[in-house]
Amino acid sequence: MLSDALLCFGASSASMDEPDDCDSTDEISINSIFTECQDVGACISNAAGSIGLKDMPSYVVTMGEHCDWIKKTQESFHPVKISEDLWIVPEWRTPPDAQATNIILNPGLAFGTGDHPTTKLCLVLLYSLIKGGEFFLDYGTGSGILGIAALKLGAALSVGVDVDPQAIRSALQNAALNNVGPQEMQLCLVDSMGNPLSAVGTTDGNVKGQSSHGIRLVAEKEKFDIVMANILLNPLMEMADHIVSYAKPGAVVGVSGILSEQQLPQIEGRYMQFLEGMSVSEMDGWACLSGRKRITKYS
Amino acid sequence: MSSLKEILTRRPVAATIRLTVPAGAARPAPPVGPALGQYRLNLMAFCKDFNARTQKYKPDIPMAVTITAFKDNTFEFTVKSPSVTWYLKKAAGIESGSSRPGHVIASTITLKHIYEIAKVKQSDPYCQYMSLEAICKSIIGTANTMGIKVQKELD
Repeated sequence: MLSDALLCFGASSASMDEPDDCDSTDEISINSIFTECQDVGACISNAAGSIGLKDMPSYVVTMGEHCDWIKKTQESFHPVKISEDLWIVPEWRTPPDAQATNIILNPGLAFGTGDHPTTKLCLVLLYSLIKGGEFFLDYGTGSGILGIAALKLGAALSVGVDVDPQAIRSALQNAALNNVGPQEMQLCLVDSMGNPLSAVGTTDGNVKGQSSHGIRLVAEKEKFDIVMANILLNPLMEMADHIVSYAKPGAVVGVSGILSEQQLPQIEGRYMQFLEGMSVSEMDGWACLSGRKRITKYS
Repeated sequence: MSSLKEILTRRPVAATIRLTVPAGAARPAPPVGPALGQYRLNLMAFCKDFNARTQKYKPDIPMAVTITAFKDNTFEFTVKSPSVTWYLKKAAGIESGSSRPGHVIASTITLKHIYEIAKVKQSDPYCQYMSLEAICKSIIGTANTMGIKVQKELD
């Protein structure tokens, strides 16, 4: 109850640790995180008062280090095996199999470590599709993992698109980590309707840099042999026309980031008019739908 | 309800975390980051999962999330839609309820608002067994305590 009251009065979060068996069970400690400008004391006394506690609970205020929690989550990344000879390895670990195709990643604050079922589904799909020399579009690139994987597997060119500048920064870094040059990987920041805001080549550290080739390539429809979008249900539904328009007729379009039970039927219905020969792969409740772009219009 | 097998294989819990996150907009930054990071939970997996599950809500509505972190760094979470009072305030276009409910009317809303709110609330874990009518009645009751008048139609 106290944690609820704390949340109402301005705490960003309240966490309760489970007491260990050997500790006394009268005391429960609640960790609460506040943004810097708030008056912690006032918030706690308001919260305690609102639920009828007579005494002020004792509390300790510590200033959290900003990078602490970032470091802690990074510690949990391990190398991930996608298939016999494809591994995703965090920057600070050594690849378990030096002979395999290893993709080195520093995901930072962007999505895509190879861990999540949707990333794995997409990577497996890519692995089966790439024969060599394809143009690949990664819509919602996050850390750039799919784009870089495509290149390592033999694609000729990868273009990564995202609405989050942090993702573009992260993908730039990862491309550099894997020795991927600007001729091979282009990145573009777009707005939520898919209009390009700026584009960068991979040697440019500044997200606002211009690379006309990148913008031109993104703006060119029907240029890509493989298009993948691992994002979320709503953008996939709204931007279906837009995403599919980048694929050549007969090219493969793959979408993921959808829950098998609740969201897959909607996506199937929406993409049916664009794709034929659709197949679904699933993992842990997540699904990946892929199909070939119809050459003639769906009637 | 948990089966006996589930109870026997239940993993040891490290902590329970409560947060408010806007629907479809979970990012690894604060407040999510520090709160989950200190228990070494996979931030990205949570954000992706949370965003996917809240796609059906209007974007950026503050959702109440309760996360159970287990000692092996895995986690589960449940999402609750915002409180009825939050929805009523939004529908009525006011910041806070009336200071003297029953005497002073803060604002007015229509039955259609109540119906829409009830439909959203129906998917909440604790409302699923209630009929739509029962949920509506409960919402009207809350509106009364806030000093919000409910009319059939707006004049």
